[in-house]
Amino acid sequence: MFNLLCMDLYRIKRSKFAYVCFGCLLGVIFLSYLMVWLMATPKGQETALKLGMLPLNELEEGRALLAEADVLAMFRESGMDGGMYSLTFGVAVALLVCGDYQGGFMKNIMSLHRQRQVYIGSKLMAAGILNFLYLTLGFAFNMLMNQLFRHMVPASDWRATLFYLGWAWVLTTGFAALIILLCVLSRSTTIGVLGAVFGSSGLIVMLLHSITSQFHLGGWVEYTIYYNLTYGPSAYASVGDLRGVAVGLAFLALYSAASVVAVRKRDI
Amino acid sequence: MSKEKEKLAVETLSLTKSYNGKAAVNHLSMQVRQGAIYGFIGRNGAGKSTTLKMLCGLAKPTEGEIRLFGKPAEDSYMARRLGCLIESTGLYPNMTARQNMMMKAKCMGLTDEKSVDRALASTGLSDTGSKKARYFSMGMKQRLGIGLALLGNPDLLILDEPINGLDPEGTREVRELLLALSQEGKTLIISSHILGELSKVATHYGIIKEGNLVEQIDRETLEGNCRDYFQIEVDDSKRALPLILEHAPQMQAEVMDDKIIRLYDLKDGAWLNHLLIENRVQVYSSGFHHMDLEEYFLNRMDNLAEGRKGGEEHV
Ligand SMILES: Nc1ncnc2c1ncn2[C@@H]1O[C@H](COP(=O)(O)OP(=O)(O)OP(=O)(O)O)[C@@H](O)[C@H]1O
Ligand SMILES: [Mg+2]
Repeated sequence: MFNLLCMDLYRIKRSKFAYVCFGCLLGVIFLSYLMVWLMATPKGQETALKLGMLPLNELEEGRALLAEADVLAMFRESGMDGGMYSLTFGVAVALLVCGDYQGGFMKNIMSLHRQRQVYIGSKLMAAGILNFLYLTLGFAFNMLMNQLFRHMVPASDWRATLFYLGWAWVLTTGFAALIILLCVLSRSTTIGVLGAVFGSSGLIVMLLHSITSQFHLGGWVEYTIYYNLTYGPSAYASVGDLRGVAVGLAFLALYSAASVVAVRKRDI
Repeated sequence: MSKEKEKLAVETLSLTKSYNGKAAVNHLSMQVRQGAIYGFIGRNGAGKSTTLKMLCGLAKPTEGEIRLFGKPAEDSYMARRLGCLIESTGLYPNMTARQNMMMKAKCMGLTDEKSVDRALASTGLSDTGSKKARYFSMGMKQRLGIGLALLGNPDLLILDEPINGLDPEGTREVRELLLALSQEGKTLIISSHILGELSKVATHYGIIKEGNLVEQIDRETLEGNCRDYFQIEVDDSKRALPLILEHAPQMQAEVMDDKIIRLYDLKDGAWLNHLLIENRVQVYSSGFHHMDLEEYFLNRMDNLAEGRKGGEEHV
């Protein structure tokens, strides 16, 4: 398994997609800082007015935006809660897995590793590592942006930050397991990427939720990856705040098991 | 018995693979000796690739058993003793030849980069530099596939059509490489449609037809079966044949069509020409031939087809 993990990391290091996806994340963070700056700081509002981007009557509202924000809130707003992070990370995972099928290198892997569950294990670990790097480096960039925009928002409590990044990592790794499952089942980059798009945007969850809540059966939505990632707590207060971790781990186990079955059943 | 088994690199017992209820490989039992170069031949769709895929663990047998070096194929240590190239080369199109090799080396847990360079050198890919595999020509991809199979110094090489798309020079290089590997004591299983080339290296043959292994034969026996024959082309074989048999009743003759006759076990052709001309049978050409693998193979396929047709008529 660790041989395979080494192989995956070697490829990630030399691939374009891992850097492009990371660049997209940074771009989104930068843009959201820019937007908040334009809408909520006196200097930014001046510029925005000049550019005609901001109507006069919204100046006060804009300033209110910043009242409760901190660095962590900025990080969540700039992509985490909206599913932008899941999307880019999901696309990276899809490209990582489907690359093995596309050129047929899978034949080399599978003739060497007859115990095919090893493959899923290594992919999960690679995705977990990539996720960790994206989250931590993304957050570091987020703090850097705050510096650049002259401490627009106050720093966040480090315990809250660690707590948030921790459960967000578990949940998004669970999401990666879903993407891995889709790729192993379909062996198609297109399906993997589409899965990342629909899964991350919560489109399917919301659609199903709106249907089931017609029958007052919408309670399940609180146990989805999408819901927990978007509405999860920013600081630890009670045991209930660990629901995201539990949901993430449950989906991680479920999708991984399904992937193992899928990869063992089918011929290459 | 057990000693005999030890010497086998590959043994399959009633190996079967069905797709949608139809058997692509049908109760196939083959034995490949250690150190042999086993030529695996059969028509398109005969089931060669499917068999080799099962040996490499890429396809799950519907039925039957595979033993590699006397041990079950599921043994994960066995997989490392095996190098394979099945159908088109599996590679990462966006990586260079060396990076692809490195990927496979990492996959195997090899730490020595020299083995990568050695595999690159032996397949003539050392100077492809930063060119990505997707821009490789067909022959270069094929070479990369062979190089990937060679990585890690496996004891058993399974190569499915390894010389497809290679130029004459490349074909010769690969042939020499294969012979050198065989001399090191490695076992090779090679499927190929280029029978002339295959017959230059193979020590054993397996002939597969519609999923059934119809013959396993070693080189010496095959040569024995590939008899020399004397072929004459005449204006009318119906007139020539009685004449010949009249003078040499025990002669084995085969009428190929209404012009061509093959005669086996003939030492001298001069009297025959003389005889035919004397009796006003026109002889267009005559001469000794040696049956090669291709002819033997085609002959065998035709005989099987006829045999089966005959069988069906009886029913
Ligand atoms: N994945 C599959 N699904 C369904 N049928 C298959 C599959 N793979 C192979 N077959 C069938 O099995 C039979 C044997 O195919 P195989 O690829 O082993 O032939 P081959 O001897 O390698 O032929 P060729 O010389 O053309 O490479 C064919 O009839 C093929 O259609
Ligand atoms: Mg084939």
